Amino acid sequence: MMAAFEPIKTAIRSPRGGASAAVLLLVVACALFAPLIAPYAYDIQNLPGSNAEPSAAHWMGTDEFGRDLMSRIIYGARTSLTVAVTAISISVVAGLSLGAMAAYFGGWFDRTVTAVVDLTWSFPEILIALILIAIIGPGVGSVMVAVSIAYLAQFTRLTRAQIMALKNETFVEATTNLGAGHFHIIFRHLLPNALAPVIVAGMLATGDAIILEATLGFFGLGAQPPTPSWGAMMSSGTAQIFIAPWIIIFPGLAIAMTVISINLFGDALIEALDIRNRLRSV
Amino acid sequence: MRLISKTRLLASSMLVSASMFGLAVAATAQEATFVVSAQNVGTPSYNPITGTKLNDAITLIFDRMVIQDADQSFHGQLATEWESTADGMSWTFKLRPGVTFHDGEPFNAETIVWWIPQFADTENAFMTDAIESVQVIDDLTVEFVMKNPDPNLLSNMASGFMSIPSPKAFDELGDDFGVTAAVGSGPYKLESFTVGQETMLTANEDYAWASDLSENQGAPHIKTLTFREIPEDSTAFLELSTGGVDLLYSVPTEFLPRLESEALVQVGTMPGTGLFYIPINTTVEPFTDIKVREAAAFAVNQKEILDNLFGGVGSVANTFLIDSLLAANVDSALKISYDPDRSNSLLDEAGWVLGSDGVREKDGTRLQVALWTQNGTVFKRVTEVVQAQLKAVGIGADITVFDSATINDQYRKGTEHQLAVRSYSWANADIIDWFFSGQRLGYPNVSMWNDPTAEEMNVAAMKGSRTWEERVANFTTYHEYVLSQFVFAPIYQPVQIYAYGKDSITVPEAVRGTRLQSQTVVDITVN
Repeated sequence: MMAAFEPIKTAIRSPRGGASAAVLLLVVACALFAPLIAPYAYDIQNLPGSNAEPSAAHWMGTDEFGRDLMSRIIYGARTSLTVAVTAISISVVAGLSLGAMAAYFGGWFDRTVTAVVDLTWSFPEILIALILIAIIGPGVGSVMVAVSIAYLAQFTRLTRAQIMALKNETFVEATTNLGAGHFHIIFRHLLPNALAPVIVAGMLATGDAIILEATLGFFGLGAQPPTPSWGAMMSSGTAQIFIAPWIIIFPGLAIAMTVISINLFGDALIEALDIRNRLRSV
Repeated sequence: MRLISKTRLLASSMLVSASMFGLAVAATAQEATFVVSAQNVGTPSYNPITGTKLNDAITLIFDRMVIQDADQSFHGQLATEWESTADGMSWTFKLRPGVTFHDGEPFNAETIVWWIPQFADTENAFMTDAIESVQVIDDLTVEFVMKNPDPNLLSNMASGFMSIPSPKAFDELGDDFGVTAAVGSGPYKLESFTVGQETMLTANEDYAWASDLSENQGAPHIKTLTFREIPEDSTAFLELSTGGVDLLYSVPTEFLPRLESEALVQVGTMPGTGLFYIPINTTVEPFTDIKVREAAAFAVNQKEILDNLFGGVGSVANTFLIDSLLAANVDSALKISYDPDRSNSLLDEAGWVLGSDGVREKDGTRLQVALWTQNGTVFKRVTEVVQAQLKAVGIGADITVFDSATINDQYRKGTEHQLAVRSYSWANADIIDWFFSGQRLGYPNVSMWNDPTAEEMNVAAMKGSRTWEERVANFTTYHEYVLSQFVFAPIYQPVQIYAYGKDSITVPEAVRGTRLQSQTVVDITVN
């Protein structure tokens, strides 16, 4: 079991891996312990104190309703991470199962899955998400569903490619000859060997999902007010960009910092796992 | 050889760019781009007869019989003279000679005979309800024979909804009128119209029938006029300050300090004709209980919104009508003005007990309601503050933001909405009829209010008034009853602020009429 953490340790030991891990840890801590860390409640308005500059009382200033911007960014980490991590987890699990079964069984099932996946693959994620939200309506739940479906194609393709390469290996043949069932072979022998690249791709996709969540939030389709979401905060900041630029700058920085860290850590992990070539096979 | 060709190339390219530059200069001398009010973004049509929402360009494409000045006095446009009999049962209008529509059709008594019956069975039918028939006296004189006196007739005729279309084009185009083409007799012809984006107008060079309110009695000075629809106020403002557009029909008050410091931008204000309010759907739980409606209405802190969101510019709203209307003078006990103690005790009485998370509950049901709003900075802001104010008395509200073009269709369904932040712009007491008549449930009667007493008062106010004074008294009674039933919560009365690029256009100092309409626009010049 400890062996599984070995690449992560290696990644953290590299300079960029360590720095990005530290930032990510901070973001995760914000999300988990928001009520303890945030200096103010995220939804308490103080209209006379609106659009206040950053100061000792409000480190990042206040927004157009006089709410503490730093508290909203801390709580916003919750929205962003919850949506991105949940959506990508669903996507990864569904993609692993679909991709593995398609590759292993082949035939009409494989052709159907591949056709559907290739079709969705040909559209940008944002477009798929927008179409889905137009159907099911705005809200955090809808964004999760939309993001997870938008990224499903990517993980299904990646898993399928891994399993295709693995299923003709001699160890699989041996297990088959020993009389093992299909599901035993898929879940005990094939998937564990295909997991690493999918996990790393999932990690990188989480960064993209944060951006997608922010984009949908910017359009007002994600978390509804007063729940803070980085994208929605930037959107309301656009109206104030000359009066109170900090309203748009700080959430923008939060998004940029988180996504860059995820990407850097993902890169470090790829190197530690030595799987760059396998990721390329997609 | 090589050198010569190079020189030639250079010379010709300079010539081309010089001529392009010259063209550009000539073109800008005639062109201007205006941005419509944010609340008019998404107006689906330029059909004045069937439309329920009209764009700012409507009075430029069409003419009206009469128009108003800022002091609300009436001036003739397509009518030159008019009089009514003492009992109010007959009106005679003399029509302006020599007027033609953009399609070459003449304007005369026959136009009016055709025009008035078009309103039957439309949402705007109330405008002409009092007219029994139109009689031709001669080619340029008509008489309106009335079913009942209508002291509001001239005021109706001065509204954009009583703009006169070309009968021929109107009949030929049917449902497409106002969408694919709109033919009137106004100072501008409609060149193209894309819903939610832009309207292109070109000057009507034959125009020679401006009212005495305009200095320019001929064709308008601006030859090509584009109306753009920009839902975001800050985007519109950026466009103005960078010279991308020349005039904004509406500017949010919070931009005033910034606008006034912009060297190239000139700001003007006009008395407001609008009001922000929250219609309350009276047919959906928990608002079937008048106590809950009253509690919601008294939870809105109008002063806080005025001072903080609008910088104190404008005034609070405590009734459904703008202050300048006489029917707004209601019994002060009926005015709705922030009183959280009253809200709290009403909700206690109604059995809603404060829960641990600050939202009230009754028999296991949370007092959590839907609060709708539409795109646009001002709407979203007011809505978020209202959400917090409702929460302060224990009413939880979930905001849904709709596209401004589709929100009215959502209201028409009539069964899903509970509260909404809306605004209207209208300077006549009959707006009460428009939004609360039992004939228009869903939309415009977003409150879904259908009350027999109110319907009787509606008939008395709309049809039973012979004189202006009687009409004011009837509308005051009707207005007071509407207030007593808490079918809406008043919020705020804005002033109208417009802004334009000082260097690009010159706008007459005094705006004529209650809005920026044709009577002023024909005098605007490009610098």
